[in-house]
Amino acid sequence: MSDNTTKKAAKRLVGERPSRMKRFLGSHFWHSFKTDRVAQISFLLFSVAVIMALCAPLLAPFNPYDLASIDIMDSEIPPSWKEGGDSRFWLGTDAQGRDMWSTILYGTRLSLMIGICAVMLQAFLGIIFGLAAGYIGGRVDSVLMRMADIQLSFSTLMVAIIVLAIFQASFGAELYQELAVIMLVLVIGIAEWPQYARTIRASVLAEKEKEYVDAARVMGLPSPRIMFRHILPNTLSPILVISTVQVANAIISEASLSFLGLGMPVSQPSLGSLISSGFAYILSGSWWISVIPGIILIAIVLVMNLLGDWLRDVLNPKLYKG
Amino acid sequence: MPLLSVNNLEVQFALRQGAVTALRDICFTLERGERLGVVGESGAGKSVLGFSIINLISKPGAITHGEVVYEDQNLAVMDNKQLRSIRGNRIAMIFQDPMMTLNPVLTIGAQMVECLHAHRKISKAEARAIALDKLKQVQIPSPETRLDQYPHELSGGMRQRIVIAISLLLDPDLIIADEPTTALDVTIQAEIMDLILTLCKEHNVALMLITHDLGVVAEVTQRTMVMYAGRIIEEGPTQEIIHNARHPYTHGLINALPEMTTPGQRLNQIPGSMPSLQSIPDGCAFRARCDRAIEICKTQVPGLQVQQDVKVACHLYSPENEVPHG
Repeated sequence: MSDNTTKKAAKRLVGERPSRMKRFLGSHFWHSFKTDRVAQISFLLFSVAVIMALCAPLLAPFNPYDLASIDIMDSEIPPSWKEGGDSRFWLGTDAQGRDMWSTILYGTRLSLMIGICAVMLQAFLGIIFGLAAGYIGGRVDSVLMRMADIQLSFSTLMVAIIVLAIFQASFGAELYQELAVIMLVLVIGIAEWPQYARTIRASVLAEKEKEYVDAARVMGLPSPRIMFRHILPNTLSPILVISTVQVANAIISEASLSFLGLGMPVSQPSLGSLISSGFAYILSGSWWISVIPGIILIAIVLVMNLLGDWLRDVLNPKLYKG
Repeated sequence: MPLLSVNNLEVQFALRQGAVTALRDICFTLERGERLGVVGESGAGKSVLGFSIINLISKPGAITHGEVVYEDQNLAVMDNKQLRSIRGNRIAMIFQDPMMTLNPVLTIGAQMVECLHAHRKISKAEARAIALDKLKQVQIPSPETRLDQYPHELSGGMRQRIVIAISLLLDPDLIIADEPTTALDVTIQAEIMDLILTLCKEHNVALMLITHDLGVVAEVTQRTMVMYAGRIIEEGPTQEIIHNARHPYTHGLINALPEMTTPGQRLNQIPGSMPSLQSIPDGCAFRARCDRAIEICKTQVPGLQVQQDVKVACHLYSPENEVPHG
């Protein structure tokens, strides 16, 4: 046998590490993805939505924010395959004469961005409070968890409606229009942190009893370091699962608020405000203004929930079926 | 001056049923480079003793009395920040199960570097160099690759070697090893014990070996301490304790070794079990299981009697009750 094979064998003996890519391809995660049709389709649709959102300025034939390009005479044109359709607007136009396709692209972008940013804020608050409550325990735990309970006893929408309505009333709609994105992120982010905090606290309580935490304390590591570097990575799988679901929830919350007129203004429509703006015309036959963004919204939320379900099954070692 | 001296240490756990005393009147000293074995049944308080030395008893437990003097500092009254500079740095600890003591999501290298960074201001490259050197000292094959591996990629014996390497990282004065070989394969146990012994000798590190394996204690340690129901009941040079046990409990322990019975015979077990810490009877805690108990054992807790270089807590050895023993 050649020298090469012995070298290879020796390498295997000392446990040479395969490349990251190879390890990923050999993992349970990849295997389960490969065999799960639902996960694949969901991931595909989700990626399409994300790419559409990211490339909105490139893909959209019109800029819906540019008032100069909008002609009110083009309003309520049905999709191009319908009678009376215009080949320039394949999904038709809304009541202001904006191209639906462009508006939906920009709207998806806004909805996803608000959803993801809000969840990042939730995760940030939830991780800090959840870790502190679980690791420090005692009084800190009681105070934080009672805060979470109180927060959860108000529904997210109620808190959001009150806060946003007060903001609009006291600072005026002008300022609100400018700050709408930030306000929505803040409100949805702050209203939902207890979901994260509770999930994380529960896994921290389980993790902190493990010996590696004792070992870290015996090493003389400071508590914040043990919390963030040793315990947090071990609680990542529930965090990942809850994140997918929470992004979907945040998108729904944003859409609901916009539908109620408290979210994104009509001049910068998100999917929710598009649905809302078309609602007035639905009975006069212009169904596409509401229905098309509605289908997109449902599709995005559905695939995210399906992905979350799949992820939960994969990351749960108790369900591991080889 | 001894490296470590523990004086009248008492540890209590505040449970719902009231305070339970896990350790009482613990007094002993440990010299630099000395190897001390702590033996006793499960629940005798051995592990609690290990943790209480670095003042790391988790709630609801706490040191309620006494002192743990390391060099000239009393660890029992130190604040957390000062304690952190001792833990891992001057006093290291090795646990029973290497499967559990390494963080599953961090590489070996990351865990070692982190431990170094907690105590020394050095660059990452320097830290890795030290880590590599320690891995070599614990005779791990191809140490360079190990640094980037995760604990699950290694075998139990290998992991325990890593844990030992981590405990050596900062060249501590004292290593507390809490049953370091119990979770390992029998063939690996001897190797690991050997390694600990050699490293302690080489670096003049004091070792406090907590175990129930008297064989290991006989091989590794110079002095032995026998614990029962939260108290030290016998303490002295290992050879003396093994060959000339004074306390009836120590006697029982040694007689219970399978080597002490002829094949085919039943093992000489000590009848009964240790009383739970919540209901320690008056007098000597071992009385109910002792075949040589006398009247006074029912009422008085025996104090430690000095007998040449051995200390023993048994009424049979107090001057007024001196009974010839066999």
